[in-house]
Amino acid sequence: MNLNDSTSSLEMDLKKNLSLVKGKNKLKLKKLITILSFLLPALILYSIFMLIPMFDAVRYSFFDWDGAAPSMNFVGFENYIKLADDKIFLKALSHNLLWVVLSLILMVIPTLVLAVLISRVKKGKTFFRAGFYLPSVLSLAVVGVLWSKIYDPMMGPINVFLKSIGLENLAKNWLGEPFYVIPALVIASTWAFYGLYMILFLAGLQNINHELYEAADLDGAGPIRKFWSITVPSLRNTLNVVISMVIINSLKGFALIWIMTQGGPFYMSELVSTYVYKAAFSMNKVSYATAGSVVLGIIVIVFTIAFNYYRERSEN
Amino acid sequence: MESLVKRWKTSQIALWTVLLLLLIFITAPIFYAVIASFKTNMEIFNSPFSLPKSWNFDNYINAWNLGNFKQYFLNSALITVGGMLIVALVACPAGYAFAQLSFKGSNLLFYMFLLGMSLPIQAIIIPIFFQLKTMGLVNTLTGVTLVSSGLALPFSIFLMRNTFRDIPKELRESAAMDGAGEWRTFWSVILPLAKPGLVALLIFTFMNIWNDFLLPLVLLVNPEKFTISLGLYSFQGEQTTNFGLIFGGTVISMIPSIIVYILFQRSFVEGMTDGANK
Repeated sequence: MNLNDSTSSLEMDLKKNLSLVKGKNKLKLKKLITILSFLLPALILYSIFMLIPMFDAVRYSFFDWDGAAPSMNFVGFENYIKLADDKIFLKALSHNLLWVVLSLILMVIPTLVLAVLISRVKKGKTFFRAGFYLPSVLSLAVVGVLWSKIYDPMMGPINVFLKSIGLENLAKNWLGEPFYVIPALVIASTWAFYGLYMILFLAGLQNINHELYEAADLDGAGPIRKFWSITVPSLRNTLNVVISMVIINSLKGFALIWIMTQGGPFYMSELVSTYVYKAAFSMNKVSYATAGSVVLGIIVIVFTIAFNYYRERSEN
Repeated sequence: MESLVKRWKTSQIALWTVLLLLLIFITAPIFYAVIASFKTNMEIFNSPFSLPKSWNFDNYINAWNLGNFKQYFLNSALITVGGMLIVALVACPAGYAFAQLSFKGSNLLFYMFLLGMSLPIQAIIIPIFFQLKTMGLVNTLTGVTLVSSGLALPFSIFLMRNTFRDIPKELRESAAMDGAGEWRTFWSVILPLAKPGLVALLIFTFMNIWNDFLLPLVLLVNPEKFTISLGLYSFQGEQTTNFGLIFGGTVISMIPSIIVYILFQRSFVEGMTDGANK
């Protein structure tokens, strides 16, 4: 009797526990479904248009495929080996590098100086900030078309102006001569992108402790000295962000070059992105082009990860 | 004391003058385009720096009707509005889940989305084209809208997660105590508080999709389907020497983004600084 009692109570306990576990599982399942309902649309869209294409990009690059043939031939690393031997691809890579260096020179310090000047204005700061940001609002198609007309050798305002003041010698075919084409493009791209960096600098400048400048004033430091020994070091984090963004955006450049030169003349302004586009969509070398784009993607991602690692370390 | 105030005033005036001249110099290309859009080709060639003799809108009318900017404008509007809707409807719940609902693997999943933020689109544009081809959506506005929304997701989810993270979790918990379901809480308690973030998201999405060039270039073939950016590009290819007409088309293309910028200037600047510093 006693024994029976205890077993039955034990059974009851077990049953209770079981139903509790079941209830918990039900709750868990319900929670999981709720969370999934929040995430699923994003997951689906992201998978179809980003994740799967990422895998496909790597997959294509190991095959030989023209984009139309029903079957693909596996060729291993052959596309990459060919790329390493492709003079135009290597040239495009070196142009990307040159583009990065020129952008850094034109973009970082001049924009910082501009931001410092704007931050010193007492009245009308918003006006200048808004005004100087204006070019960044325009689409790259607008910027590209606008600047190709500005650089036009015959009717463009630059050459018309140079000729009108008697400097015909300086009037060049800006987008048609190998030596000038990349700098001319980088100037147009700087014009289109500096606004974002200016805003970031302005935000960073707001956080600098004013007492530092007052102390420097007492020491009799001039504006240039103050710029290099207070402003620049205090803005280290902002500078890090800006420099990395300039580098990444330079590597990503496509639209302006495509609109203004299509990589010409004679590949002199070819970047990896324009070369890859041509190879895929006008030469039908789809898998080869994909290999080139994977190289570009890896460069950008490795750089981004390395930079974030460096930033986290230097900030802690 | 008086001389100090004076000195301060002169230095401010000098600063103003320098900045104003610089601003005029830097924005000159925009004014040049606007002024040239009212000129005939002859006028642009003969007197490039003077004001037009008469303010005639021929270039605009011709670009709009004969240059088919009417159609491009409509296509861009459809793609952009569709994209904004999809991005808002998809990125808000996802950002909310990452910010407020704790679940296993949340970080891993979030990093997976972040991966897309650093990836250059050029690296995957070729597979995207073939993906869309198998779906039968190449050369359709629907296709461009879907791809644009998908590519906008990483940044959008990131932005919305940051927005929702700043809203105290207690709000959600007390709503749950009152018996509100998770969606109900999200929709009627949390989302209204995230309005500034949502506005920033919509503006960014508008700018990105309206101004995009690469996706329409790769995904659209038929000129009837062209967006305003792609239309402007092909227009300048056809009208190489017709400067006045090209500038008319260029100015038409600028107007929407400039209007949105002027209207939402504030959220623009704030959204951008937040996005880069977080």
